[in-house]
Amino acid sequence: MAIDDPQREPRAGAGRAPDVMRPGGWVPMREYREDEAVDFAIVGTGAGGGTLACKLAEAGFSVVAFDAGPYWRPLEDFASDECEQQKLYWTDDRIVDGDHPLKMGANNSGRSVGGSTVHFAMVSLRFRPEHFRTRSTLGYGVDWPIDWREMWRYYDEVERTLHISGPVRYPWGPDRGRYPLRAHPLNAAAEYLARGAEALGIDWTETPIATLSAPVGRSHPCVYRGFCVTGCSTNAKQSVLVTWLPRALKAGAEIRDLAMVGRVETKNGRCTGVHYHREGAWRFQKARNVVVAGYAIETPRLLLNSANQEFPEGLANSSGLVGKNLMTQLNQAAWGQVDDEVRSYKGPPSLAISEHWNYTDAGKDYHGGWSYMSQGPLPQVWAKSLAGGRGLWGQALIDEMARNNHSVGLKMVGEVLPYERNRVTLADETDQYGLRIPRITFSMGPNEQAMIDHAVDFMDRSLEATGARERWKEMDDTAHLNGTARMGDDPATSVVDADCRSWDIPNLWICDGSVFPTVGGVNPSLTIQAIACRTGDRIAEMSRKGEL
Amino acid sequence: MADDGGDDLAVRLVAGGATMLALSTLADSGMEHYRGSFRNPAMVLPLASSSMAIAFNGRRLARPRPGERTGPLVSHLTSTATGLIGLGFHFYNVTKRPGGLGFTNLFYGAPAGAPFALTMAGLFGSVADRLARGKRRLGPMHVTSGRAIGALTSFGLIGTVAEAALLHFRGAYHNPAMWFPVILPPAAAASMARDVIDDTPRAVTTALLGATAAMGLIGAGFHAYGVSRNMGGWKNWRQNFLVGPPVPAPPAFTGIAIAGLGALLLMKRRQAK
Ligand SMILES: Cc1cc2nc3c(=O)[nH]c(=O)nc-3n(C[C@H](O)[C@H](O)[C@H](O)COP(=O)(O)OP(=O)(O)OC[C@H]3O[C@@H](n4cnc5c(N)ncnc54)[C@H](O)[C@@H]3O)c2cc1C
Ligand code: SF4
Repeated sequence: MAIDDPQREPRAGAGRAPDVMRPGGWVPMREYREDEAVDFAIVGTGAGGGTLACKLAEAGFSVVAFDAGPYWRPLEDFASDECEQQKLYWTDDRIVDGDHPLKMGANNSGRSVGGSTVHFAMVSLRFRPEHFRTRSTLGYGVDWPIDWREMWRYYDEVERTLHISGPVRYPWGPDRGRYPLRAHPLNAAAEYLARGAEALGIDWTETPIATLSAPVGRSHPCVYRGFCVTGCSTNAKQSVLVTWLPRALKAGAEIRDLAMVGRVETKNGRCTGVHYHREGAWRFQKARNVVVAGYAIETPRLLLNSANQEFPEGLANSSGLVGKNLMTQLNQAAWGQVDDEVRSYKGPPSLAISEHWNYTDAGKDYHGGWSYMSQGPLPQVWAKSLAGGRGLWGQALIDEMARNNHSVGLKMVGEVLPYERNRVTLADETDQYGLRIPRITFSMGPNEQAMIDHAVDFMDRSLEATGARERWKEMDDTAHLNGTARMGDDPATSVVDADCRSWDIPNLWICDGSVFPTVGGVNPSLTIQAIACRTGDRIAEMSRKGEL
Repeated sequence: MADDGGDDLAVRLVAGGATMLALSTLADSGMEHYRGSFRNPAMVLPLASSSMAIAFNGRRLARPRPGERTGPLVSHLTSTATGLIGLGFHFYNVTKRPGGLGFTNLFYGAPAGAPFALTMAGLFGSVADRLARGKRRLGPMHVTSGRAIGALTSFGLIGTVAEAALLHFRGAYHNPAMWFPVILPPAAAASMARDVIDDTPRAVTTALLGATAAMGLIGAGFHAYGVSRNMGGWKNWRQNFLVGPPVPAPPAFTGIAIAGLGALLLMKRRQAK
């Protein structure tokens, strides 16, 4: 065991937290007593929780944010090694079932201070405006309780905070301000997307992405080494860990790492605090408000595991919808072989994108949108795709791996519709903390199948247009989990309101991807952060008006 | 035309400017073409011609009136031509990429600045050559009046500003100092142009050109700082020199500004007579 092992010993404490920008550095951290109620106890420090912790602390609230994961120092702890970096994923036991059981782990969940953004692929996209009102405008799914124009303002805030590098002009959707930083150079994999799109006569652009194309503060610009999804060791990546959380600490928030929250306590219909496990013992933090932000699986799990006499079906669950309407995103791909040396693992994986089929509805025999991006799998992920997705094994696998430098692929991010049957429930088995583990039930419907068929065929044609040979389709992949505690206007059909406040318990909030009523056709993290920013502002406003 | 010290100084300034431009080009294209692994054999040409330009213009800087004729002529013609051909090559490199003549390709494709600087070095070198040899004209250009050289200076500054503006926009002007090269040299170019048009050398132009010359050198320092802001800083200089802002690029401003001071001097001498 290393002397300083953040997976065993918490790093935040004794009045200080790691300075993620300086090797061996520390920043001062305010600490709160457990027996004095803090304004907000936040469970999870990812895209939702970390962002909200910053906003609330800066608004003057006392905040303690808990994360089950370690507090990494990216400059020291992240190796350019896929095996070593498995430490970033949430790999606790979970039971998966349904017609299309989800693969859980690296592709969808993180366990770190900073959440999944520590190993996300940085693609930072805005929803299509109509996708906030799909029921009214497009006739499927459900409407969000928030207007897209309001979201547009919060997208601006998040994009500025993360210094998103993007194209000078974005080809789709209503106007947006210019991205704070300019786009990165295309790698060869992205050029293949561009050439295919041009051949098929649709728009493409450089992907707006949360890694720096110019130095900012103490962060260096991206060095294009391509280890983004295993943790960026240069801090060019604008994860929650290096953006919102340092600000939160400065504003007086406390972060407790290696702190697994097992139960939210209630009394007389209100939350009183959280029970959490840290340094080998269960502890209790008193709080005036509790925010659950543990991601689409852990959030409902915690709410269900917190069932008590007052709320026997779990917290915030009078609608019976906690855990239901779980949505993933379709992540199927088309691959091919070209003469050029592509080396697609160079640079961030997705440097070019087309949102054509996210904005165009004509010519579809299904509901919903999808976008597609260039790909850059590292060797292990690539081997898994070839073995799992293409069925290669033994010498055939080795031979194909040897041709990796010439492989090129396109992957979709596609909208899955909300179905009540897709859900998170509690299994009887328990984990290392004695908490019941989640059972994740998922099946696709005919709409998803139709979208996949269209998308994979289109991507395949795009590759064909660039001269790619020996093409094949990777049909079994999903990414990004959302839903399970949806927001809405009606307590009977939603779990929280537009401010992420639970209908049942006025001082319980849910602020992460769980609140999505629909997932849209683009990656979700920018939207999660925008909602967290909005929630932070709304809470500050409600507090001013005495409505908390 | 008199053989007085004033004209020697003008020759020195113009040749000195050309030397500086050639130095900037040599270092810049050396680095960039090394980065491109000299994939195309023609990528050695700017190195060869800028080296030659440094040798001949440098000699003229030290000794304004050497007797030699053919060597400088060949060198200046080569610089001008190599720069122009380079511009063509670089333009082709940008447009053949997916997306064509868009921002990203202009940012990351072959830059127009370095070949442009080499062309300017060739032109200023030829001018210095004609002046040194007591000739009044270079083709249609009347060199001894100083006005034509002044016009060339304005043109050169604007071209260089265009490159700096584009690449600083690429860097999103993340440091406020990045605005200097898009504000100061255009002011100098405009002032120079005004002097050329009404044939009146003004003190303000001298000041602006002097400031532009200094800015070019300070800019190299800023770019060096920019290099250090990449991962690994100076410890990783072999990589960071190639990916950071180009350290040898800003002195191109210095070269053009110095030649411009030569133009002003000629104009002043003529009017004093
Ligand atoms: C490999 C990969 C690539 C991705 N790429 C992109 C991309 O390019 N673009 C994009 O927009 N999105 C991407 N995503 C998705 C994005 O990262 C997530 O949608 C987003 O981070 C989810 O935010 P969240 O706040 O819901 O949860 P998270 O960011 O996952 O944060 C949840 C945190 O809560 C903690 N936690 C959970 N339960 C508890 C508990 N009981 N007690 C204490 N702590 C708890 C967890 O440890 C975790 O740190 C990617 C995801 C993965 C895995
Ligand atoms: S490619 Fe850029 S963002 Fe990705 S790991 Fe490397 S430096 Fe970080």
